[in-house]
Amino acid sequence: MTHARARRVALALVLSPVLVVTGLAYDAHARRAAKSNDEPAIDALARRLPTSDLALSGGARWLRAISLEEPGAAFADGPASPDPDPAGAAMAPPTELWSR
Amino acid sequence: MKTSILAFALRALARRKARAFALGGGLAFAVALVAAVVFLTESLRAEAERAHAAHPDIVVQRLVGGRPTTISAADAAKLTDIPSVRSVTPRVWGYVFLPSLQGNVTIVGTSKGAPPLSMGNGVLAEGRDLAPGAHEMIAGAELARFLGMRPGDELGLPTSNPDARALKLVGTFRSSLDLYTADVLVCDEEDARALLVLPPGDATDLAITLSNAAEARVVARTITERLPGARVIERDLLARVYHLAYGRRAGFVLGASIPAILALLVLAWDRASGLGPDERKEIAVLKAVGWSTSDVLWAKLFESLLVGASATALGLLLGYAWIFWLGAPGLRPALVGWSVLYPRAALTPAVDVAQLLGISLAVMGPFALLSVVPAWRAATADPLDTMRT
Repeated sequence: MTHARARRVALALVLSPVLVVTGLAYDAHARRAAKSNDEPAIDALARRLPTSDLALSGGARWLRAISLEEPGAAFADGPASPDPDPAGAAMAPPTELWSR
Repeated sequence: MKTSILAFALRALARRKARAFALGGGLAFAVALVAAVVFLTESLRAEAERAHAAHPDIVVQRLVGGRPTTISAADAAKLTDIPSVRSVTPRVWGYVFLPSLQGNVTIVGTSKGAPPLSMGNGVLAEGRDLAPGAHEMIAGAELARFLGMRPGDELGLPTSNPDARALKLVGTFRSSLDLYTADVLVCDEEDARALLVLPPGDATDLAITLSNAAEARVVARTITERLPGARVIERDLLARVYHLAYGRRAGFVLGASIPAILALLVLAWDRASGLGPDERKEIAVLKAVGWSTSDVLWAKLFESLLVGASATALGLLLGYAWIFWLGAPGLRPALVGWSVLYPRAALTPAVDVAQLLGISLAVMGPFALLSVVPAWRAATADPLDTMRT
């Protein structure tokens, strides 16, 4: 590797976080802008739904509207303790079996 | 001059490729893991709060035996004259268990005067809004897909009420709204009442909108005085629930990641604990040929900076790609749970430049600085002594 080339490569590596941060920030901005097209739809939909809770763990916890039915949801399991409901862990149960 | 030292640092790293790749790889993995958890948590919080503003300022439920139960719609009349209350709407909604799904479907009744849903306002992917009294329904895209239904199909939902009618699917929600509608089935209020076996005159809860949201606390106190035993839920308090719920999950996942974080600390300790004999010899030779202590320190600092910067960049890129380009495989169930009806909508990044820079500096700063102390020790030693030993 020539000295000039080593210098260019080294500079590129040192500046790589700046390039990556700029690129990711741009991508995130573009995705947020695309999502903002959905804002009126979300607004119209939210007025017809009972809560703005996300449809994430209803099947597992049997609590779709957690914020209304279990306002202490954030603390129910105890800080840093494993979740007794199967709603959060690294391995999911075989959900395809449930539907048979 | 400094760029020449930088080029020298790169060539020095190239001479110790295996060590540089081991350090950089471990660091990149740890950065990717932490960044991915932060990206996913922030994205979920933003999604949960996106629809928050459209919701009623106060929701009133009735408690029996400490558990929520149905409330008399007539109780609404007791609240309408409270100052600042603009409207009180009894709502009908609840759950129906579908054996074929082995999960709950959320039935939402549409009251008269509800804002319309259409393909035009971007809510529906296909079909139209409900016609009152026509026994129709709109389902989430995921639910319709699971049940194999298309607009025009009819579905009889399991209920103990023999008067409940089968509902005709007239529309499905757009899949980009899956996070809110994956398990939702919207129908006429009377159909919802029949399915949920809710007696006439009862409601699931009361939704209250205020002319001045800042007065929610005062209005809530008045409601508890007028409806003893009622549970009053203010909208602003719900925002805290979302915030804490996802924060707790992020903490749990990061806690489980402690071995990876420890690996990072071991790498840092390796940097701090001193230089190898080859590196000491190299520094001695540099000093012998006329490099100053400052030049040696810069060279070692640049070596750490090169490894740290490229590993941080790679880690951030991997973390971002993992969550937003690949859909967070492996991490998504850990942070958001799972269900038979699982929303498949892509997540939207909520991360900003400040957070990205924060993660970068938190990793690179200590990593680079840790290399200075052992380098300074070696650079201030007598070159002849070092070469002899």
